[in-house]
Amino acid sequence: MKFTMKCALACTTAMLGTAAAAETMTIGITQNNVGVDSYQTTYEQAFIAAAEANPNVEVVVLDAGGDVARQIAQMEDLIQQEVDAIIIWPTNGEAVIPAVRKAAQADIPVIVTNSNIAEQGFEFVASFSGPDNITQGSRSAEIMCDKFKDMGIESEARVVQISGQPGYTTAIERAKGFEDRLPEVCPDVTLVETQPGDWNREKSQQVMEAFLVKYDDIDGVYAGDDNMGVGALNAAKAAGRDGIIFVGATNFAVGYEAMAAGDYWGSIYQSPVDDAEAALKTAIDTLNGVDLPFLNYFDTPKITQDNMGEFTKPVF
Amino acid sequence: MTALSRQKIGGVLARQGILIAFVVFMVGFAMANQRFIAVDNVFGVIRSSAILGVMALGVTFVVIGGNLDLSVGSMMSFSTIVVLDLHDKVGPALAIPLMFAMTLALGAFIGFLVGYLKLNSLIVTLGMLSAIHGLTLTWSGGKNMDIADKEGTWFAIFGQSSALGIPMPILIFALLAVVLSVLLSKTPFGRKVYAVGGNGTAATFSGIPRARVVFMTYVLSAFCVATAGLMQASRSMGSQNTVGQGLELEVLAAVILGGASLLGGSGTVFKTVIGVLILGFIQNGLLLVGLEFYVQYVVTWVIIILAVWLDIAAKRGRLWSPIA
Repeated sequence: MKFTMKCALACTTAMLGTAAAAETMTIGITQNNVGVDSYQTTYEQAFIAAAEANPNVEVVVLDAGGDVARQIAQMEDLIQQEVDAIIIWPTNGEAVIPAVRKAAQADIPVIVTNSNIAEQGFEFVASFSGPDNITQGSRSAEIMCDKFKDMGIESEARVVQISGQPGYTTAIERAKGFEDRLPEVCPDVTLVETQPGDWNREKSQQVMEAFLVKYDDIDGVYAGDDNMGVGALNAAKAAGRDGIIFVGATNFAVGYEAMAAGDYWGSIYQSPVDDAEAALKTAIDTLNGVDLPFLNYFDTPKITQDNMGEFTKPVF
Repeated sequence: MTALSRQKIGGVLARQGILIAFVVFMVGFAMANQRFIAVDNVFGVIRSSAILGVMALGVTFVVIGGNLDLSVGSMMSFSTIVVLDLHDKVGPALAIPLMFAMTLALGAFIGFLVGYLKLNSLIVTLGMLSAIHGLTLTWSGGKNMDIADKEGTWFAIFGQSSALGIPMPILIFALLAVVLSVLLSKTPFGRKVYAVGGNGTAATFSGIPRARVVFMTYVLSAFCVATAGLMQASRSMGSQNTVGQGLELEVLAAVILGGASLLGGSGTVFKTVIGVLILGFIQNGLLLVGLEFYVQYVVTWVIIILAVWLDIAAKRGRLWSPIA
């Protein structure tokens, strides 16, 4: 008796689920840490707005608050709710793999957004949507090299790098893209030292202060994002060291303003709105059976003082 | 005669072990890279350490009083975000006192819970660490906060100006250190803090209002945090919500490194200052030496343990404990 009841309930839910899927698709998302920075806050707003604009899509929006355990629990909740697809912004590239596998086993396609999970989990992932951090790093190297060529110092320039938090995929990939590309385009430019700024403006300012003491001759600074780049710029300003070329990544409002003021040379334009919309589109396409590549990168163009007029100021 | 002077030297060593450790490291780093002791660099390091230092001054009182304060990091983020946001809304002259009032209210709330309700300070401040972080995020909506007109305001004076050739953050840190040192060592309030932290029951029987003293240490700590937030905001004229994240442990490390006992009842403002400077100069020294950064975490730990060991060895007059 009890068993029948349970089955009746479960079967009805399952049928309802299938019936609903025919008309509208339910997509669940578990995000990394909304509210911890403006990028993620804007991403969430854009994601909800994009979902509301599409009458065929229902979304369940969750946030893990940076907590791996909570994200795994949220994945299980979404599997229980029998959503049609799950989008995950991993809190940790390794630890979430078992939860992703569980969803794949329940025949729910998983789309990874923004930063990918570790490679051993790829077989459980339908597709990835996000920025290509290695390309971003190489583009930053090209921006810097082009500027050095304009200035005629491409044969002697010396560069320091302030990278993101050690151990983070985004930080590692951007640094790799930059370090690999720079010697290809500007073989005579020297990267003298790399130190982490932990995505933190104050920390980067301290790192840059030490660099300025240590090296009398610095021509360029590459920072893993604009927040750190502006920290480094503040240090150079305070020390009265003019003429240093600053190039960042993920153009922030502060970076955009510093560019407008002529203090900061360039960056990579990465819009959280594009990021969110690309993730939703990838999920919808997957459900509609569209043939997608495994890695879906949205474009993150170069932005410098020369072409910044083509871009609106970032909202974060 | 020789015995006497040896004893004297021993006494000085015992009291200032941490200072000796500090001098040893400074000489070591200076030998590795001469620029380490360049005036610009020394000023730069102290200026960077000043924010952490100001927070550590307040926490010194809390720790001597026998409690912990793990909320100072997120409280500093709160102060920074609030003062930056209010700066553009009501102007700096009003934003600063408003921010101080709100931060002091948070400190008073913690002080009430720990002092009057006698709740465990570790639990209370650990909870406040996330609660205040939530408050900050609610206030800012998760966005970075930036002053719109960075050139047309006098707000930069607390973090970026200098007087008599000394950067303002250093002056604030030094002034606060002197005032709080006098408060701790020369006033009845200071003696009560030691008494409450050393032996709370005995303090109560001596007629010391234990709850009020504990309450005051948290208000004092919040005042220091608000000052640090003001310096931080003024220095970078903009901030992330997580600017103070993790600082609570660095602050605690500096205070304990300075020799304050986690069990309360001992410690001085001067030694906390030395603890802060050791941490600041280690970070800077390792950068100047150019060690690869994954290794830096380990080396930082080794240096801190060496400092603690030197301090203890100086106190007992030998390197190894006489009791096995």
